[in-house]
Amino acid sequence: MPDAPWFTVLAQDGRTTMRLAGAWRLPRLPEIEAALAGLALPAGATVDGSALAEIDTAAALVLLRALQRADAGALAWVGFSDVNARIVAQVRTHLEATLARPAPPGHGVLAHVGRQTLALVTLLHGHVNFLGATIAALGEVLARPRRLRLRELTAQLEQAGLNAIPVVALVTMLIGIVVAYLLGLQAEKYGANIFVVDGVGIGATREFAPIIVAIIVAGRSGAAFTAQLGSMRLTEEIDAIRTLGLSPQQVLVVPRVLALMLALPLLVFIGDVMSLLGAMMIAGPMLDITPAAFLARLREGLDTRHVFVGLAKAPIFALFIAVIGTRMGMTVGRDTRAVGAATTSTVVQSIVAVILLDAGFAVLMQTLDL
Amino acid sequence: MPSVIEVEAIVTRFGAQTVHSGVSFSVERGTLVGMIGASGSGKSVLLREMIGLLRPTAGRVRLLDTDMWGAAPDELDAVRRRFGMMFQDGALFSSLTVAQNVAVPLREHTRLAPATIDALVALRLLQAGLPVDAGAKMPSELSGGMRKRAAVARAIALEPEILFLDEPTSGLDPITARGFDRLVRSLVDDLGLTVFLVTHDLDTLLTVVDRLIVLAGGAVLADGPVGDVMAVEDDWIREYFSVRRMVAGDRNGI
Repeated sequence: MPDAPWFTVLAQDGRTTMRLAGAWRLPRLPEIEAALAGLALPAGATVDGSALAEIDTAAALVLLRALQRADAGALAWVGFSDVNARIVAQVRTHLEATLARPAPPGHGVLAHVGRQTLALVTLLHGHVNFLGATIAALGEVLARPRRLRLRELTAQLEQAGLNAIPVVALVTMLIGIVVAYLLGLQAEKYGANIFVVDGVGIGATREFAPIIVAIIVAGRSGAAFTAQLGSMRLTEEIDAIRTLGLSPQQVLVVPRVLALMLALPLLVFIGDVMSLLGAMMIAGPMLDITPAAFLARLREGLDTRHVFVGLAKAPIFALFIAVIGTRMGMTVGRDTRAVGAATTSTVVQSIVAVILLDAGFAVLMQTLDL
Repeated sequence: MPSVIEVEAIVTRFGAQTVHSGVSFSVERGTLVGMIGASGSGKSVLLREMIGLLRPTAGRVRLLDTDMWGAAPDELDAVRRRFGMMFQDGALFSSLTVAQNVAVPLREHTRLAPATIDALVALRLLQAGLPVDAGAKMPSELSGGMRKRAAVARAIALEPEILFLDEPTSGLDPITARGFDRLVRSLVDDLGLTVFLVTHDLDTLLTVVDRLIVLAGGAVLADGPVGDVMAVEDDWIREYFSVRRMVAGDRNGI
């Protein structure tokens, strides 16, 4: 027997009595539950609570469940204090409902894959719709320029464009240095030092700068759009805009899309310049290419069409980043966790979109012979 | 009757602004006490100081004979399991279902078998007046009234001795609010809990509260049964209850 017997079962004169004792409280419940395991009582037994100091609802639930498992049928309850009897009575009224537990829905792998696929299809379908609505709204602004929210546009240009310059400049310059260095290591072996300039020039302006800058902007501005619009949706500001007879598309989406489409090509140009500058910085000490020789070779080796192809991709990247960012924000679920999840999703989707678009451009440009 | 809450000479200052200049009262076990006060009188601040979330500038708070601002960390942990708090909007964890929310304290602080925890969670939901199936929902899928009930279910999960409620009926329709009042009253009458609530709901004050504390000007302005407080000669108190008197007067055809 444990040192504190929670109950004793006595059989006397053909009557069985279960005598409860001690303080049946939640902190000791595991012991009580263990003691109650395997309890057996005949029908018509008596439960005596006269030695029971106190019982709380959790302990009463465990007791009633154990008695039900013991299949004791109708029991006589005697000796309970008023407080204890009230607590047991309250739990008894809820007992049936606690037993009726709904089976958790099945979570098969197939069901999971199906649900995720459907969610993806719905998401993409929504994006396409939203893209259409945004382009229509942009068209409306072109037709009636007075509709454009100039203040919002300039604020977004500052946040998405101007404020991004330092990080874009730093990252693209480092990329320029690294590419020139790695190309230089190979080119040196063949004495083809000067061709590093061609390599960096074409590579950076046509591919690296647009992609890297777009990814930085997706992380900075795409995420910011989702977080801003998501919080606005949580506080019902977007509903307020609609109720005031304004179009959230015009007030919130168009300025952001337009700002990003204007800012991204400019940032890509800064990226082009900075990556070439980085390459020029390392070409001198490593490959004995003086800045003058570098620039002279750049004029011969770098066809301007490469720069234009790189710059032409930027507004398209910007359109997709901005559309994904604003749509994820406008459709976010109505709880705080959803804003975080939507922001993460925006960054992932934008980066995937940028790389897919770039692949598409590569094929397209090849076909067009540009 | 022993006191379970003792607030002694609480002073709170934020910079130059004095919110409380010596607030003292105590609450006896098994009573339902309401606190009112004008907006900005520091009710919520006092509540946060009482449950150990915000340190008062001076003064002492004792809950269940533990000094909330002088006890060792493990003593504080022990006392935190003996009171429950319902925040104004429920403060349910949005990433968990309602049932998981209620199970959090049980899983963290007891060594009960999962099946027992499931049954206890169901019991708590029923005690708080929710159907058991509500447990499978996410907090964002609940109405305001259900969210508050779910928060109560979580607050009473560990059989607390004191329950603190911050504006329990704000934002609820009158029918739901009265149901909530009955729930709180039954927690006190049937389970012997001590309940301390901050409210502005006159119906709650007039029907279920045993004792009313009025906070004004940084101190306790009145303290006693609702009838006595209503009789106190003070402009703010008179105005506060005047709305109700007018409604009651209309009904009586006066």
